[in-house]
Amino acid sequence: MNPTQNRIRLFEILAGLLATQLVVFGLGFYMLNEPVRITESQTQILHVQLDDAMTLYAQNCSVCHGLEGEGIGATPALNQAALQTMAYEDLTKTIARGRYNTAMPAWSKEDGGPLSDYQISEMVSLIQSGDWNATRDRVVNLGLAPLVPFTTEADPALLAEVANLPNGETLQTAVTLFAANCVACHGADGLGTGIAPALNDPAIREKTAEELTRTVTLGSAGTLMAGWSNVLTAEEITALVTLVQRWDEVPAGILPAPNVPIPTTEESIALGGQLFSQNCSRCHGPEGQGTQRAPALNVKAFLTDTSDLAIQQIVTNGVPGTAMPVWGDRMTEAEIQAVVGFIRQWEATAPEIAVPAKGGGGGPPWLRNNTQSTTQPGAQGTTSTQGQGQGQGQGQGQGQAQSQPTWWQVFDWRILLLAFGALSISFTLIFMGFESLRRRPRIK
Amino acid sequence: MTDEIPTPEQDSMLDRMRERLIPDGLPVDDRGRMRLVVDSLILHLHPTKVPVTAMNWTHSWGLGGLSALLMAVLGLTGVVLQNNYTPAAPQAYLDILEINSNVWFGELVRNLHHWSANLLIVVAVLHLIRVFATGAYRPPRELNWLVGVAMLLLVVAANFTGYLLPWDQLAFWAITVGTSIINYVPLIGNWMGKLILGGPEVGANTLLNFYSMHISLIPLMIFGLMMYHFWRVRKDGGLTLPKKLDQVDEPKVERVTTIPHLVRRELVFAIGAFSLLLIFAMLVPAPLEGIANPDISPNPAKAPWYFMGLQELLLHFHPLVGAIILPGLAILGIFLLPFFDINLNSVGIYFRSHRGRSLTLLGIGMALILTPLWVLLDEFVLHWSLWLPTWDTLLSNGLIPLAIVLVPIILLDEWTVRSFHADTEERVLFISTFLFTAFVVLTIIGIFFRGPGMALYWAWNMPAATH
Repeated sequence: MNPTQNRIRLFEILAGLLATQLVVFGLGFYMLNEPVRITESQTQILHVQLDDAMTLYAQNCSVCHGLEGEGIGATPALNQAALQTMAYEDLTKTIARGRYNTAMPAWSKEDGGPLSDYQISEMVSLIQSGDWNATRDRVVNLGLAPLVPFTTEADPALLAEVANLPNGETLQTAVTLFAANCVACHGADGLGTGIAPALNDPAIREKTAEELTRTVTLGSAGTLMAGWSNVLTAEEITALVTLVQRWDEVPAGILPAPNVPIPTTEESIALGGQLFSQNCSRCHGPEGQGTQRAPALNVKAFLTDTSDLAIQQIVTNGVPGTAMPVWGDRMTEAEIQAVVGFIRQWEATAPEIAVPAKGGGGGPPWLRNNTQSTTQPGAQGTTSTQGQGQGQGQGQGQGQAQSQPTWWQVFDWRILLLAFGALSISFTLIFMGFESLRRRPRIK
Repeated sequence: MTDEIPTPEQDSMLDRMRERLIPDGLPVDDRGRMRLVVDSLILHLHPTKVPVTAMNWTHSWGLGGLSALLMAVLGLTGVVLQNNYTPAAPQAYLDILEINSNVWFGELVRNLHHWSANLLIVVAVLHLIRVFATGAYRPPRELNWLVGVAMLLLVVAANFTGYLLPWDQLAFWAITVGTSIINYVPLIGNWMGKLILGGPEVGANTLLNFYSMHISLIPLMIFGLMMYHFWRVRKDGGLTLPKKLDQVDEPKVERVTTIPHLVRRELVFAIGAFSLLLIFAMLVPAPLEGIANPDISPNPAKAPWYFMGLQELLLHFHPLVGAIILPGLAILGIFLLPFFDINLNSVGIYFRSHRGRSLTLLGIGMALILTPLWVLLDEFVLHWSLWLPTWDTLLSNGLIPLAIVLVPIILLDEWTVRSFHADTEERVLFISTFLFTAFVVLTIIGIFFRGPGMALYWAWNMPAATH
């Protein structure tokens, strides 16, 4: 065996020993850490499941069980210690199959509901170990906060008016029942919400009494509509069906939407501010102080007189006959609610009198800078409260008004690096190819 | 070494057991070592003596052996995983959670299986490139090339069927995107899709189908072909011997005994590779997303990474061209390579010749420049289906772009012949290098530069996937 072979042999043996040690000690250390890893893994899975469950809660449960599981009306609270200690199987069974004699429907896909077994087990994990504050934020961020309480009161004057209609007493009973049981999903005046269709609707009125009675009595498979035969008597169901069929005779506003403030979170206000500066600030001014085109929003008078729901309605449907367009088809409900939340947080610091910004958007860019430098300090001087407590709105207002950043500010230098790298590699290869072709002809 | 049978009283039990295992005792001379190779079932895969230069690791890079090692790791870890897995939706996903969070070494075994499977595709392709680059598929080794390419396709199939098994969002949508290509096969596409998926779309039946293919049919076929592959390597005279550039005569062969030289080197290589794989699997967990949900599709929905080159082609061509004709031609071309590239003089020389090496560099360099340019051009400038609205999309979106791609390639081929007097083997080398580099570039673009809506984004500026 010559010296080279000997060196190779030695190297191979050493390398083999090293690799064997890596395997043995690596596995050893891994095993020492295994109990910790398993615990961490379980925590992480629970975390992911809770995250899913919060979204599911917002989409399916919050309308009846409340923003943070506090329960609405007769619906029980979920954020209570008694439920946390309930057995996994009992909770699963209740969610999957519903609860007899209550409004709780069956949620399992097997029983005609929308949730898979896995999703139901996620919901159980939320009830057992969820963070209800985080759940509240999730519900709000998704724009699914229940704005209508579970029950509402009928307007007494209009209710009295109904008594004058033919068969008025039945209608009165039905309106009261609707206010107590149906309004949460089917909305004020039966106009529908995001989760249930409008009942105050010509298409529904065309349906036969038998059809409607069957739906109310037995529920509608595959939807959230529960069967109400355990809660309502046959007469009550008949009355409700009459109401649904004759809703065009009932005066509007009999079941008014109550004034419930739209809940907000940090994220929703940030989103609202961003949307405001993108969509609203051109007409309403960077800080809602109004311009010649549109009225001020950041004033005491407007904010105290207008409820959140009213603002939401104005934004969603626009104001006919003015420049205020319909935003409902351009923004989601969650986005509009975020904007409303953003506008609402001005209330604490809103001035009594607004000082409108000049022109719409301040004209061309070179004038816009000018406008800002002249009017901004003035506005701050006259309304001393405005500058405080609104860092967000103001910062975005300024960002909007400033001129576009120059190209070298937005240019990503890594593009140059990539292009340079790729081109130099390619050209080196091509150059080397040509060079060697030129120098060395093939020897056969 | 005597024929006399030892009586039980003479030897201890341990001695008798050793006697049974190695009747002649450990070999002390070369003759004994060679005999041991011949007499052993496993070692018999090797010849008794190997040429020193064939063991040169910069010639073969140990890629074939590494593939076999990875197959072994995959087989063993796969059997272990199978014990904790139910091929039913959604139980499959819960089982993966169970493996990760409640089984000792469960996550490690899953990581090993996952990373070995993906590494195997890379290593198998590199093995193919090595064989191609040294011309080692030429007569008499054509048949083994065919077997090898068939195994590569099976390895991809095994990876693809295994991709679905965790039943998470990543798996579900990658398989949905990947299998949607089948429907573009003319005439029998829909029927084939239904056969493979067990229904009109990916569902519980697909999971069971893929599972049974993944654990029985495909591994059996790969195992059989592997045995055949090894056997043919021996029958075809072992590895090709490395030759120097312009060396025409056959290299001089100096042989050493397989034991210990080759066996020791293989063992060290295997342990070394396995230790690195193990460390990697300990540190980097296999991906697992939320449970599969057919109602929520991620945007962008991407196929498994090794199909991203194909998915990128689909963005530029009519599906029939991008998903069926082009890949079909490519696979056919790879199968047929050894039948029109038959120059035996350059077997064992990396990239054939001086001119071959130059053309390889040219091919890689040009593909690196031309492919991204073509992607940008097709994405932002060429809108054939808009310009020719009355034409069939197969023509406007399929054959016209195909011609735009093929014409430059034919011109490049002509150019190598006219300007450099390249012969057949060098032309094959140039075009294959060009096309393969282009495919790699397309794959990289597909993996790293395609974002929501499959629009182009900078890899470092990629917006998060939405739903």
